[in-house]
Amino acid sequence: MADTEALLAAWSERSGGESEAWARARPGPSLESVAARISRVPQEFLDERISLRALAGDVLGGQIVSAGFDHDSRVRQGAAIGLWLVASEGLIEPLDPALSTGWAALAVDALALRVAPVAAPAQWTSDDERRTEAARTFLLWCGFVPAGEDAATAASLLAACDSLARDRALAEAYEGHRHRADIARTLEEARRKEAAARYSSE
Amino acid sequence: MTLAEYAPGEAAVLTDAERWPTIDAGGVARLAHWRAHPDAPRWTHATGDRLTAQQAERVRHPLSTDDWLRDHLAAARRTLRYRGMTQDAALEDFPTIARADLVDDLAAFVPLDADLSRMLHGTSSGSTGAALLIPDDVEEVARGFHLLVALAASAGATVAADGERMAVANLVFQRQAFTYVSVISSFAHRAMARLNLHPSAWDTIDARGRFLAEADPQILSGHPTSLAELLDAGLDAVLHPAVIFSGAMALSAPLRARLEAAFGCPVIDVYGLHETRPIAARSDDGAFRILDRRVHVEILEPRRDVAVPPGVIGEIVVTAGENPLLALVRYRTGDFGRLVRLDDGAFGIADLEGRDNTRFRAADGTLVPCVELTQQLQARGALGWSVEQGDDGRVRATIAGGDEAGIRTALQALLGMPVELRRVTRLIDLGEGKPRRYRSSVAD
Repeated sequence: MADTEALLAAWSERSGGESEAWARARPGPSLESVAARISRVPQEFLDERISLRALAGDVLGGQIVSAGFDHDSRVRQGAAIGLWLVASEGLIEPLDPALSTGWAALAVDALALRVAPVAAPAQWTSDDERRTEAARTFLLWCGFVPAGEDAATAASLLAACDSLARDRALAEAYEGHRHRADIARTLEEARRKEAAARYSSE
Repeated sequence: MTLAEYAPGEAAVLTDAERWPTIDAGGVARLAHWRAHPDAPRWTHATGDRLTAQQAERVRHPLSTDDWLRDHLAAARRTLRYRGMTQDAALEDFPTIARADLVDDLAAFVPLDADLSRMLHGTSSGSTGAALLIPDDVEEVARGFHLLVALAASAGATVAADGERMAVANLVFQRQAFTYVSVISSFAHRAMARLNLHPSAWDTIDARGRFLAEADPQILSGHPTSLAELLDAGLDAVLHPAVIFSGAMALSAPLRARLEAAFGCPVIDVYGLHETRPIAARSDDGAFRILDRRVHVEILEPRRDVAVPPGVIGEIVVTAGENPLLALVRYRTGDFGRLVRLDDGAFGIADLEGRDNTRFRAADGTLVPCVELTQQLQARGALGWSVEQGDDGRVRATIAGGDEAGIRTALQALLGMPVELRRVTRLIDLGEGKPRRYRSSVAD
């Protein structure tokens, strides 16, 4: 099993920033429709023998960062449930709007690297709150606010069910990783833009 | 974040409306005039101050210093570096930090709740070591202009937005440099420019003179090398600054005297680091006055977090609260000086030695601090210098200007040994950028 903090650190690098994610989120499918799909994840998606890389290739036509951590069963199962959500649109019917129109690979990685390390994927099918947490997280990183909610409400509802908040030490460690990634990204963006006029020598 | 602001992998080019969100017709006309001026240098960049109307209003005024230290320490406790500090921790409870700490983990000094949308990218080369990235704050950078105006006023000089003279020219003198023309949103969109005095930046030397004569900036800012070039090139004949600011490295007393004589205006030497922002300033050769802003200066022992006795030379350690994106507490500057009381009761820094506290070993084995060499070099008219002592104990010195024979005699008397001395005419002959003035193999 990979170190939980290392998985969260990998997610910090991968995510591209939570405030940015909320800023770009548009009205999406209902929370209930996503949660219901999670409940119906087929056993074959969770089969330990399945190659995460092959599954991601088939479902997304591309790769996911979490495939690099597929020796961790939490990551495997979390990613597999995310891939099921995307695949289900072809197997059952598309959600409205379709998840495939969003940032599906990022959302799969969010389930695998951000939620699965702190809330075991087995609970996502058995526990309503954990399922809500997974569904809300998936929608956010896929680029959506749950239907009928605004971004501020959705953000506070996700924060309220965040399993990470129950482990203070881990939450602080994650905050550190996230902050460092945010600063590095902001500085890099600032570097690519123009500087501002300066008036004296230092 | 507005992704449309840049195409991936390319330098972003902002529109003028993004560079100066409140620009008016007069500002547009000034930009067009200086950009297309027949004698203009080849501008290498375009850049603005990005201020919204609210920000332009805010930056005209200094930040309040009421209870600032308490608020600053509270902000510091919202950083990764200090979040374990208790609520009642006093300044002295914070361990000192140094440049290497920022190089290692810059983000640990940015408050977790900082408004990152205000962040600009700054770099500080320093005198040694890796370049340091600094998260600059858009308002703090813009407020820097109004600090210059306020410092000018305190020296009796008036800078006003009532004509078409450029407000500021920030001068450099190097083979390659960023140059741009801008307007100042918080100063009636008056023009300013960053200019490279190096001849290679201009079509002809005469074009440089004509351009400067027409711009005739109210404020000239630069470092000693670029300011000395103004004199060496005879540009004092066409410029009428209300005030001159020198920064980045020490301004020698003889160069200050030449500038004052040539321009007949106050010459203000500002001490500060990019990471701390301006700390202290002086308009004569006395002590630097610590600025009345969010800055707190301590003088500590170089290797222990212990204050030196009052009036004794030690390392300058700064707590700096002007940049909301970088919560520095007890930052070791690597510079040395003495804390003194000025006549009006304010605090000042005397015997400021930049960058290091280099010592030289005299022939009899005693250690001579570089401040003593500075006194001799300045007294005999050197505009700049570099002095090195190698492992073999030999001392080699290069001076720009000054009384060569007198300096040789003085240095040999100080160190009790012959000194290999070379005199060059101009500061630039010591090297571009920010040359180290002293180097010695004697350990700190």
